[in-house]
Amino acid sequence: MAVVAIDGLGKRYPGSSEPAVEDFTLTIGDGEFMVLLGPSGCGKSSVLRMIAGLEPITTGTIAIDGRVVNQVPAKERDIAMVFQSYALYPHMDVFNNLAFGLRRRSVPAAEIDRRVRQAADKLGLTPYLRRKPHALSGGQRQRVALGRAIVREPKVFLFDEPLSNLDAALRVSTRNELIRQQHEIGITTIYVTHDQVEAMTMGHRICIMDKGEVVQIGAPLEVYRSPANTFVARFLGNPPMNLVPIELGQSSGRLGNVDIPLRSWSPRALGHARTVLLGIRPEDLYETPPRPGDDLVPIAMQVSAVEPLGAETLLVLTLDDGTTDIIARVGRDTRLRIGERATVLLDTTAVHLFDPTTTRVIPRDLP
Amino acid sequence: MWRRTPLLLFVLLYTVVSGGPFIWVAVMSVRTTPEIFASPYALPSRFHWEKFVQAWAHSNYSTYFWNSIIVVSTAVVLITIFGAMAAHCLARYRFRGNRPIRFLILSGMILPPQLLILSLFQILLDYHLYNTLTGLILVYVAGHLAMTVYILEGFFAQIPQDLFDAARMDGYGDFEIFWRITLPVGAPALFTTVTLNFIVLWNEFLYAVVLLTEDDKRTLPLGIMHFMGSHQLDVGMVATGLMIAITPVIVLYALFSDTMIRGMTAGAVR
Ligand SMILES: Nc1ncnc2c1ncn2[C@@H]1O[C@H](COP(=O)(O)OP(=O)(O)O)[C@@H](O)[C@H]1O
Ligand SMILES: [Mg+2]
Repeated sequence: MAVVAIDGLGKRYPGSSEPAVEDFTLTIGDGEFMVLLGPSGCGKSSVLRMIAGLEPITTGTIAIDGRVVNQVPAKERDIAMVFQSYALYPHMDVFNNLAFGLRRRSVPAAEIDRRVRQAADKLGLTPYLRRKPHALSGGQRQRVALGRAIVREPKVFLFDEPLSNLDAALRVSTRNELIRQQHEIGITTIYVTHDQVEAMTMGHRICIMDKGEVVQIGAPLEVYRSPANTFVARFLGNPPMNLVPIELGQSSGRLGNVDIPLRSWSPRALGHARTVLLGIRPEDLYETPPRPGDDLVPIAMQVSAVEPLGAETLLVLTLDDGTTDIIARVGRDTRLRIGERATVLLDTTAVHLFDPTTTRVIPRDLP
Repeated sequence: MWRRTPLLLFVLLYTVVSGGPFIWVAVMSVRTTPEIFASPYALPSRFHWEKFVQAWAHSNYSTYFWNSIIVVSTAVVLITIFGAMAAHCLARYRFRGNRPIRFLILSGMILPPQLLILSLFQILLDYHLYNTLTGLILVYVAGHLAMTVYILEGFFAQIPQDLFDAARMDGYGDFEIFWRITLPVGAPALFTTVTLNFIVLWNEFLYAVVLLTEDDKRTLPLGIMHFMGSHQLDVGMVATGLMIAITPVIVLYALFSDTMIRGMTAGAVR
């Protein structure tokens, strides 16, 4: 049971000019499942490795249960980590892989045996206890890696993209398995991934990182509904949010030759900006009106691609300027074909506005 | 089928070229010198096994043999332990001065042994190690460490860093990680260097002949010289002596060749 408080954390690798992590501040509550989400190279692993004690901290502090651990070596932090490569000891069988960490902590042999068997049982590894890692499938190896963390009963679990080496089907089932395990065990967990689906489905909260810095922290749906900037807006959601520049008028914006009413923003909120970025998610564009009302604005566009996905169909639409593409997620029974003109309905209550220079969101200030 | 013929021919030729002399020596080792002079390539008319007893008992051969065993195994053990430690550090840690240190160690491979022999002679004299097995052991360790570090470092560097990180998370310190991760995971490479060093040192002549002069300190390669008297060559006994000398190498090969080949090709196939 542990609270991990990270304050102003920074990391600069020797010999590199740019810091890999900068001013990273985040507190992970007791028993919380926190996901660090960001594109490859944004510094997620660096943060995780500093928490683990595998990488020295350049600036800032990390505290576990109120005790600053900057100078505490990895082996004394009582943290377990699951690596992307699994990092199973190739010369030990599954039992010994699981028991290795307990042996060092002078847990009595009978207790080691009990805990290893219990974890193996929970993860369905009992038949493989005497096998070496090379004789296991990818999914089984993944579970051994997980088991090695579980048997330790540590204060904190760290995961570094543990599912990215699994095939798609296994990834989904293992993801659910992980969610269940963490829920049952209730140990504070920090989970690194670049996969937004994993982040959305697994985390109690998500911390989104970009270029070594925290961009936004919040519950998955909260972050999805109100992204703090264009980076988050496009990173969460697949396909990503459409962003198109619009000309501002009096409490409305002009997209091509269509006026989009912006009733939730006061003139003061919009300030002196002439052009802003309008964000609209593909699912907030409709082929047929989902409800009666005056908050749907029709926009006529050219259909440049139709992608049936089964459950729904994606339309790639091109604005009349001929260059801006907008993706809409419509029902699977759409009859639209490439080259046709289509009129889609834009839900003006679902619109986001972003400042084109700072990329930050322009918050709504009217009900 | 026919496509493999050139390969088969090559392997056959190679076997004849490398195995032929060995079989010839093996045959001569159970024939007497007059028999050999009468007909060098004949098969034995009678197996003179007693020549082995004779070589062992009457010519100090057992002393040479044990000297060789002591010198070579001690040297190989020391080379392996220190070499593995150095290779582990060079492969695993980024520390101040690791490049100069690596360069210093590896430059030891470049110097021809003949160049060092006089200075080694003088150093051993100064430290009263001349004409001692300890002296020869130290020279062997110093001389073969570089190559061992070189081979092992290349191998250890390929062990994924995550394994070491995992062991650290599991609570192990640097020395335990060396002992419990690097050594067992690197076992194929260790077998390779152990076997190579053993064979090379078992046959080493130059340093042994310069640094050991007393008869009961001598090692096997010098012992074989014993049969090559100054006036006349006792070919039959030389062959017998060679067979005794070769036996441990063959045993080692038989035991480790599999692991060794795995070690030499490790990393080639993931
Ligand atoms: N050991 C290292 N030495 C130098 N630079 C590193 C090292 N590890 C990571 N980096 C750099 O730090 C940045 C962040 O890397 P990382 O934390 O691995 O990102 P992520 O896990 O989000 O992909 C990258 O630009 C990477 O090149
Ligand atoms: Mg990473």
